[in-house]
Amino acid sequence: MASTAETVEREQRLEGVGCARKRKEDPRFIQGKGNYVDDIKLPGMLFAAMVRSPFGHARIRSINKEAALALPGVHAVLTADDLKPLKLHWMPTLAGDQQAVLADEKVCFQYQEVAVVIADDRYVAADAAELVEVDYEELPVIVDPKKAMDPEAPVIREDLVGKDDAGQGRRSHNNHIFTWEVGDRAATEQAFTDAEVTIRQELLNPRVHPCPLETCGCVASFDKARGDLTVYMTSQAPHVVRTVVTLLSGLPESKVRIVSPDIGGGFGNKVGVYPGYVVSIVASIVLGRPVKWIESRIDNLSTTAFARDYHMVGELAADRDGRIKGLRVNVLADHGAFNSHAQPTKWPAGLFSICTGSYDIPAAHVHVDGVYTNKAPGGVAYRCSFRVTEAVHLIERMIDLLARELNMDKAEIRFRNFIQPEQFPYQSALGWEYDSGDYPTALKKVLEAVDYEGLRKEQAEKRARGELMGIGICTFTEIVGAGPSKACDILGVGMFDSAEIRVHPTGSVIARMGTITQGQGHQTTYAQIIASELGIPSDDIQIEEGDTSTAPYGLGTYGSRSTPVGGAATAMAARKIRAKARKIAAHLLEVSEEDLEWEVDRFKVKGLPGQEKTMQELAWAAYNDVPEGMEMGLEAVDYYDPPNFTFPFGAYVCVVDIDRFTGETHVRRFYALDDCGTRINPMIIEGQIHGGLAEAFAVAMGQLLHYDEGGNLQGNSFLDYFVPTAVETPRWETDYTVTTSPHHPLGAKGVAESPHVGGIPCFTNAVNDAFNQFGVTHVDMPHTAFSTWKTLHANGLDKRS
Amino acid sequence: MQVTVEKTFPIEAPASSAWALLEDIRAVAECMPGAEVTEQIDEHHYKGQVRVKVGPAAATFKGDIEVRSVDPDSRQIALTGKGTDVKGTSGASMDLSARVVDAGDGRCELTGTAEVSVSGKMATFGGRMMNQVSDQILRQFGANFGERVAASGDSAAGEPSSEPAADRPQRELNALALLWSIIAGFFRSLLGRGKSTG
Repeated sequence: MASTAETVEREQRLEGVGCARKRKEDPRFIQGKGNYVDDIKLPGMLFAAMVRSPFGHARIRSINKEAALALPGVHAVLTADDLKPLKLHWMPTLAGDQQAVLADEKVCFQYQEVAVVIADDRYVAADAAELVEVDYEELPVIVDPKKAMDPEAPVIREDLVGKDDAGQGRRSHNNHIFTWEVGDRAATEQAFTDAEVTIRQELLNPRVHPCPLETCGCVASFDKARGDLTVYMTSQAPHVVRTVVTLLSGLPESKVRIVSPDIGGGFGNKVGVYPGYVVSIVASIVLGRPVKWIESRIDNLSTTAFARDYHMVGELAADRDGRIKGLRVNVLADHGAFNSHAQPTKWPAGLFSICTGSYDIPAAHVHVDGVYTNKAPGGVAYRCSFRVTEAVHLIERMIDLLARELNMDKAEIRFRNFIQPEQFPYQSALGWEYDSGDYPTALKKVLEAVDYEGLRKEQAEKRARGELMGIGICTFTEIVGAGPSKACDILGVGMFDSAEIRVHPTGSVIARMGTITQGQGHQTTYAQIIASELGIPSDDIQIEEGDTSTAPYGLGTYGSRSTPVGGAATAMAARKIRAKARKIAAHLLEVSEEDLEWEVDRFKVKGLPGQEKTMQELAWAAYNDVPEGMEMGLEAVDYYDPPNFTFPFGAYVCVVDIDRFTGETHVRRFYALDDCGTRINPMIIEGQIHGGLAEAFAVAMGQLLHYDEGGNLQGNSFLDYFVPTAVETPRWETDYTVTTSPHHPLGAKGVAESPHVGGIPCFTNAVNDAFNQFGVTHVDMPHTAFSTWKTLHANGLDKRS
Repeated sequence: MQVTVEKTFPIEAPASSAWALLEDIRAVAECMPGAEVTEQIDEHHYKGQVRVKVGPAAATFKGDIEVRSVDPDSRQIALTGKGTDVKGTSGASMDLSARVVDAGDGRCELTGTAEVSVSGKMATFGGRMMNQVSDQILRQFGANFGERVAASGDSAAGEPSSEPAADRPQRELNALALLWSIIAGFFRSLLGRGKSTG
């Protein structure tokens, strides 16, 4: 197909794949015309407020509702006893465990839901919640997962006593959830026995929270006359929620409608089903009126999906040239009081086995134990259920520590261990098939861009003057796009995703997907995919998501799965439409299909200039002049079950300067090269990377949800919890290479989580690189000024000479 | 969230008078700002409450007091107080041991060690001020205690006398006033002019 100036112009008009067009959703948002859950107001709507436990672990002796019920405007106060007859005082979790909707006889974490007040407005509800008197008997608390399996440890989950399976295999202690192992233990042991060099390091990914701008909430509305239930909800997976609500309520799935309207950030915080949703639904069914529940910021930080609390021990075996021969990892995973993680059923440690990273490691073995503690449940956020951030943190720290041990350059050791481009598709020792990658090219490009040699020279000069400068490198491999349904399911539903595209007679398009945007720009990206596939301008393509009554069933948006899975479904559905359009074109032009060729937005008869039909003409024909035997209309649905995950990767460099006397770390430079295969909208990708890096910066440099020894959550408000603003956030430099995925219809991979996953170890590596020169081996994040100062002080580095 | 505070208060009265007051749990409780004994269960167990006022908001902690040991020979008493805010948002407990030491010359010293732990909202939001708050509460306790012993007169033993109105213990702990005294104490310590006792 000859590309003339005319066809190039036509192609540009489509604003399809590769176009950095502005986001279609933004005019609405920047005018304040978004429609979030809290914007929804229904006639007769009541408000719910939670009564929460002040204690980390306590028995409930009694609950007195009288004073609360006496307050004018209060309609109901519900406790576990009220939900018992409905069997709704407990609910199943996505990890096969169960979670108390309202505390049943005891509370297992601070801020746990104990009772709910339903009142005329949110102020009366909040006042009444304070009037509910709960008499507690405090119990011993476990906050340290290392003590959870002590023989004399208090039993956190009395409901599981005597059960040797909490949904993820055999457990060996009342506070034990699961043991998971992967890899070849014997071969790994052998690698360590034979190794010239071995290193071992304890690493902590502490408990953090993604803290989306919008907290969680819902409006539940049960229509008694029609017998149907509509719930507007902050959900990243509305279809899965519909199935869960159906199973819990006994209503037919066709009478349950879940709507995710605009969502103000998810980051995994909005995947789970929370007690607030359940009690709002119950209250609406009981009272016959809509019920709204909106979390406060403190509730959000204290009770809904957190991330990590992963206590890892990494070990590497290598030869003296720095070639890694074996990796061994032991993990203690603190899941809080209920196992409300949201990993695929068969993967209690998610995709942690990606921990061999970008390196050709012949032998590896991973052992993970999950335990209960008296902390909030629901490790879903920031890839916590998938554990990729933890895995990348582990291998990227370990390879740096190996370089330090061997006195080798931290870039050089990576080049020596990289999986080479010709090894793809690559089989990892822990069982993954990496689809594609070119790691050396990416790292070389970044090192040249930042003048790595010059930086190392400068660092040595500063070291001589006693100044701390650190250079962090991270060359990560991600695993996104869950996933092949044979490997991944949630509650037995395979992790496919879907798209339904309908072309109207005049050639514009409405398309609906099973995913749901939370700021990722789906309305723009999906439209660009369809624009290129169908030759219809992306401005004329309307994308709708989040309403389970209109959109096809899908597993939702998290784990960077929208483009790998939903985007693939979109391309495949569009191709079905184009195939039908080709038949219509052949019919109209009276030629055979083989005589036609596709050019940007039309089918042309080969070798006969002027004999052509545009997609717009074909759309019209689809509704009035189709070949004999063909049904009318132009639409298609695709349920896409990906053959594999996609494996985006990147090379990051971070340069920091540390003030010896105050411990303050200044990020001087951060250079991020990402390879996510085909780039559908480069501007959106760049925006995603900026956002992910800002969150990585937040986690590495300051965020922490700390529990004191009594189970009291410290720092669950913006008084303490670090959310970087434009003031603190460093300037990002972004770059890319393109290594397409061989199995994705567009060659695209996921991207949004790469900067988070790769960014965190890059910051930590930079801070530790500064310390390494002064004899300090490893410091865990968060690298707050205080933490860094403590390291400086302990090593006498803050002394003025 | 737990802190330990130790304090010593000089008392302008003989050790026997101070001990007589210290043995009287109701009287001791009333020396704590905002605290009172509401009911005696048996010889060693009482019920009590502490009222705290933060600006316009008032909270009442209700709880139990257990006298763990009374030793007249060494003039030492140990008790535990444990309570929760009636709204169920916070809990607090204190292990207190106090001793009266004869300082001669008709004077004595009251030495107290308190292990205070709080949970719930108070631990989350008030945690960082626990040391200062405990310190200030004990300081007020010491002052009230000293005044009451002095008012009880040298000879009186056991029964608290009718004290002048000005010396009546505060009926609630005023948190804003407390906060102010903490801030003032902080600046005084910065200027090096005054140091807290103990």
